[in-house]
Amino acid sequence: MVVDSQPRQALVRRVTGLARSTPGRLSLIVVVLVVASLASGWLTTWSVNRQERALEDLATRSEPLAHAAQEVYRALQDADATAASAFLSGGLEPSELRERYEADVAQAQAALSVATATSPELTATLAAQLPVYTGLIETARTNNRQGFPVGAAYLREASGLMRTQLLPAAQELYRAETDRVARAQDEASFPWGSVAVALAFVIALVLTQRYLTRKTNRLLNVGLLVATGAAALSLLWMTTVSVLVMNDVADSRAASQKVDVLAQARIATLTARGEETLTLVARGAGQTYEKNFVEVSERLEGLLDQASKLDDTAAVDEAMKQFRQWQQVHQRIREADDAGQYTEAVSLIGSPYFDSLDQALVRGIGEARQDFSDEVAVARVSLSGTAVGVLVLAVVGAAGAAMGLWQRLKEYR
Amino acid sequence: MRRLALAAVLLLGACASGPAPSEVVPRSAPAPQPANASTVSAAPSSQANPPPSCDATASLRPGALPQPGQMPDGSTMARIAQRGRLIAGVDQNSYLMGFRNSFTGEIEGFDVDVARQIAKAVFGDEKKVQFKVVTAAERIPMLQSGAVDVVVRTMTITCDRLEDVDFSQVYYQAGQRVLVRRNSGITGVEGLADKRVCVASGSTSLNNVVNRAKTTVSVPNWTDCLVMLQQGQTDAISTDDTILAGLAAQDPYTEVVGSRFTDESYGVGVPKGQEDLVRFVNGVLERMRTDGTWRGIYLRWLTPLGPAPTPPVARYRD
Repeated sequence: MVVDSQPRQALVRRVTGLARSTPGRLSLIVVVLVVASLASGWLTTWSVNRQERALEDLATRSEPLAHAAQEVYRALQDADATAASAFLSGGLEPSELRERYEADVAQAQAALSVATATSPELTATLAAQLPVYTGLIETARTNNRQGFPVGAAYLREASGLMRTQLLPAAQELYRAETDRVARAQDEASFPWGSVAVALAFVIALVLTQRYLTRKTNRLLNVGLLVATGAAALSLLWMTTVSVLVMNDVADSRAASQKVDVLAQARIATLTARGEETLTLVARGAGQTYEKNFVEVSERLEGLLDQASKLDDTAAVDEAMKQFRQWQQVHQRIREADDAGQYTEAVSLIGSPYFDSLDQALVRGIGEARQDFSDEVAVARVSLSGTAVGVLVLAVVGAAGAAMGLWQRLKEYR
Repeated sequence: MRRLALAAVLLLGACASGPAPSEVVPRSAPAPQPANASTVSAAPSSQANPPPSCDATASLRPGALPQPGQMPDGSTMARIAQRGRLIAGVDQNSYLMGFRNSFTGEIEGFDVDVARQIAKAVFGDEKKVQFKVVTAAERIPMLQSGAVDVVVRTMTITCDRLEDVDFSQVYYQAGQRVLVRRNSGITGVEGLADKRVCVASGSTSLNNVVNRAKTTVSVPNWTDCLVMLQQGQTDAISTDDTILAGLAAQDPYTEVVGSRFTDESYGVGVPKGQEDLVRFVNGVLERMRTDGTWRGIYLRWLTPLGPAPTPPVARYRD
């Protein structure tokens, strides 16, 4: 142990000895500055890369996946409501309803296969249950075709499966994917650490310059000046870009919040539609469905209000207008049904307001998604070249500092 | 020394193995069941204290039927006439008795035709009736809340139920039997001791079968029972032969077995205390029996049960 400690003590002595003489001190400063410049450059490049990756993930993965998950939910919900409507129509189901149902199932399948990448557990549940659901619907259809009331029982069973198994899983999937978007947005946030390090490096360069001026009585050192310039430029570049990116990411957050609110509104619209239809299918025994309709409608109105507060676009206005019309028609449906005019009530359910509301929401969601995509694209453009630029500036800074101090060191030889 | 190390490395290399080849494990999807299906372990509480004994099937004697459109002032029928339609609680899931015709969307069946006859007696128009679909368990609550004027829905007259609602005279005599898959080996209610049986909740059939079967499952509607039978989740369905005939007609792989082991006397349910309406309905039923309407309705719907029997004989307690 005693033998071991001797070389270390010798090293410490040498370094402290170096630090005591001016040339020694200068040599140490060269080493420290070169290492600091490269380290700061590396750190900045790393954090810029991280932001770039996060933005790329947002643009090409998280957001498309969140949208796919939302589509899974919407398509399933719509398939169920459409199956109930087809049953309600009496006689053979209208072909447009059948086509809509088939399109919904195909859409749910397609969206599900996209979403499999990130949530294999949830999508496996959905993938296992969806064929069971469609099987029940086909059994219901076959029985219905023969005029057997057991068809309605199969439809009820299918709807129960949808409400208790498929939709909750789809809801969870949507939550998981939107959380992923939020996490990616967090990753692209302002890189405080790197900015602080870069700033500290600039200050260190300025202090070195002052120390040199005092020791050598020369006003300026070109090498150090170049190094300071490069470091300051790098700091300015990174700060500016980060502020821009931060702004864009904040805007993209607002856009995804809008998408989320509108998507929830769309799901609420479809849910309310399903409840409205089932109230009529139940024929007088549908109090629970009507209660659900009222609850979901209130939630829907709240969501539309929230959407118009976030961004009062034409699409949102239109959605609100169609929603009010729909509610009025619903009132008339209830009055007709309660007054025993069942056929009248069933004919009223074909009013166009529900579809118009849905289309307005689709438009709103499309616009908000475009906003999101634009913001992320702008952020990616502002980041481009930053990583390489900062690295080049770091090398220039290191070289400048080394050369500047080398000149002074030579004078001591 | 180096050779030894080399040998060791080679030996280790020979022993090292990769992970087992991956397997695709199928996600099992639990078989779906009708909503609100539940297992009944014991008879409902009403069975715990024996039902009050009474002469259940004796109803109130009808007077002369008023002309349609001329209901006596202040009577329950006058109130119905003023509304412009009779509100009848019926079923839309019992094939032949009360069911939704999937071609027209209209509700039809034996019970439905009885309800139409009541409407015809009030208005002179059998179309002036609004049907409200009620489940077996909802029949008494719907009468008590006044949501419906009458319930015509395979409703057995029991002393228990007479505590809460009034009944017309018997308009159909049914009895409980058993529906099974063909070739199941079950020949009657005696064969249910080690089987799973499905019944509708809130029905008298439930009380009759719960102690005779190994497991009893209850669901909201009789068609839900047929779903469970077709999905292999129950071995048998036990209820009135009228309902079973309707279920058997929807699935040729099933058959009704055994003899009737209960008597189920169907009556029209009326809110408690509306004696004038009970007498009026009894008058309508009396007329249906004598003028051949009853037989006509039977032949229209219930021939799968056999040739038309004589209508049940009315019994009155005045």
